[in-house]
Amino acid sequence: MRSSVTHGPVRFGHTTLPEEQQAALRRAVKFEWITLAFLAASTGLVYVVLGNSQAMKAAWVEDLLSFLPPLSFLVASRAIRRRPSEEHPYGFHRAVGIAHVVAAVALTVMGAYLIVDSGIGLLTAEHPTIGGFELFGQTIWLGWVMIFAMLLTAGPPVYLGHVKMKLAEKLHDKVLYADADMNKADWMTALAAAVGVAGIGLGWWWADAVAALVISASILHDGIRNTRAAVSALMDKRARTFDDAEPHPLGGRIDNYLSSLEWTGTAKSRIRDEGHVFHVESFVVPADGHMPSMKQLEDARQACIDLDWKVQDMVVIPVSELPSEFLPGVPASGGEG
Amino acid sequence: MKIPRMMAAAMLAGALALTACGTSFPADPDGTLDRVTGGTLRVGASDNGEWVSLTANGEPQGREPDLVRAFAAKLGAEIEWSEGTEHVLAEGLKHGELDLVIGGLHDKTPWEKDAGLTRVYAESVDSRGQGRKHVMLVPKGENSFLLELDRFLMASEAAK
Repeated sequence: MRSSVTHGPVRFGHTTLPEEQQAALRRAVKFEWITLAFLAASTGLVYVVLGNSQAMKAAWVEDLLSFLPPLSFLVASRAIRRRPSEEHPYGFHRAVGIAHVVAAVALTVMGAYLIVDSGIGLLTAEHPTIGGFELFGQTIWLGWVMIFAMLLTAGPPVYLGHVKMKLAEKLHDKVLYADADMNKADWMTALAAAVGVAGIGLGWWWADAVAALVISASILHDGIRNTRAAVSALMDKRARTFDDAEPHPLGGRIDNYLSSLEWTGTAKSRIRDEGHVFHVESFVVPADGHMPSMKQLEDARQACIDLDWKVQDMVVIPVSELPSEFLPGVPASGGEG
Repeated sequence: MKIPRMMAAAMLAGALALTACGTSFPADPDGTLDRVTGGTLRVGASDNGEWVSLTANGEPQGREPDLVRAFAAKLGAEIEWSEGTEHVLAEGLKHGELDLVIGGLHDKTPWEKDAGLTRVYAESVDSRGQGRKHVMLVPKGENSFLLELDRFLMASEAAK
């Protein structure tokens, strides 16, 4: 590490974060620690009352897996502060992507395992056994305690998810987004488990296995969706917004700006999302084939970097025509139209 | 997000409301408690020292048969005793031929996959100095019957 992690203004690689993003990062770190503390308490509580309910087991495993995204975020948010080095000229931004893949694969594997496990329980007509629980000298049905525990742990993640979702947008952080998205849906898991246990109480032995299947399917769904997003990000898919909803508008803004300069004819960029920050290669066709001056080029690059904090690692390349081999979607020959 | 949340809440509320007017909660999928109450309690006993002592002719004696007789009396049930090895009795439980199995069993019993366990109602130390937590076996998922037995075992433990 040496002195690569410095105090003072927070940097991602060699990008210094603006005030707003620094505040968002501090808040995100704080809320991820709160998430970890909540998870420690809730997994502990649920473990105590786990009993023989498959739905409770599935909800518990999901809680355990929920540790991964906050941990990934906290580890990655430290790793990416290191400055690029000779050995790592692009910096350490990919740490985020790697953390994302690891968490996503864990979700997928556990989701698939739990579907098989719960499915076997349903097919073999496993009747879940839930007996008495000693509470203040009274013997009450353990199922009540399970339902209570589930309802108790249903609420807080929804709040945490909402807060983290806003921060994920500010920081352009996909791990934080995935974490927030899972938290926001967590109440459904808790409620499904509670309904499953209530079903056992009504004498519907299958309700537990069905609830467990619903929970497992949601874990698997989260896993597959996250694996797909994480893998395509590592494969340098075109930069998209933090929620992958649409191509990131920054690409259009850079192209418009560069095309509008007096010395340029047309310009087009390819952008990859390194996690938080972008790597931008902008191809610029000068007007009338006149080579721009060194100052014009440097000014244009600086203006693009000033557009958004995510742009820092950027190259501007003057070309005689837009190279279709690097810019798929650009017509192969001639034509600027 | 609003609609599924409302629906799920309604489902849970419905389930809880059902329990309020239902006769027993938790309920037995196979109705063991209803059948046994004022009927016959089919008990399997496996010989195991002071816990269960089988006699050549006559009812099993020992700590657990005494508990079972008191429990049956509480339910107004006749006891129909069966004797056998733990394996045979666990099979009987699994196939619905028995309602309760005793034999000085402890909570690490290998029959857990075929049977439900009561709560730990007594603890002992075996000849090797290892602590044992004692339980009885019931049919899987007959939760109303199990809760009734758990309550009885806890009360009799507290009474001592």
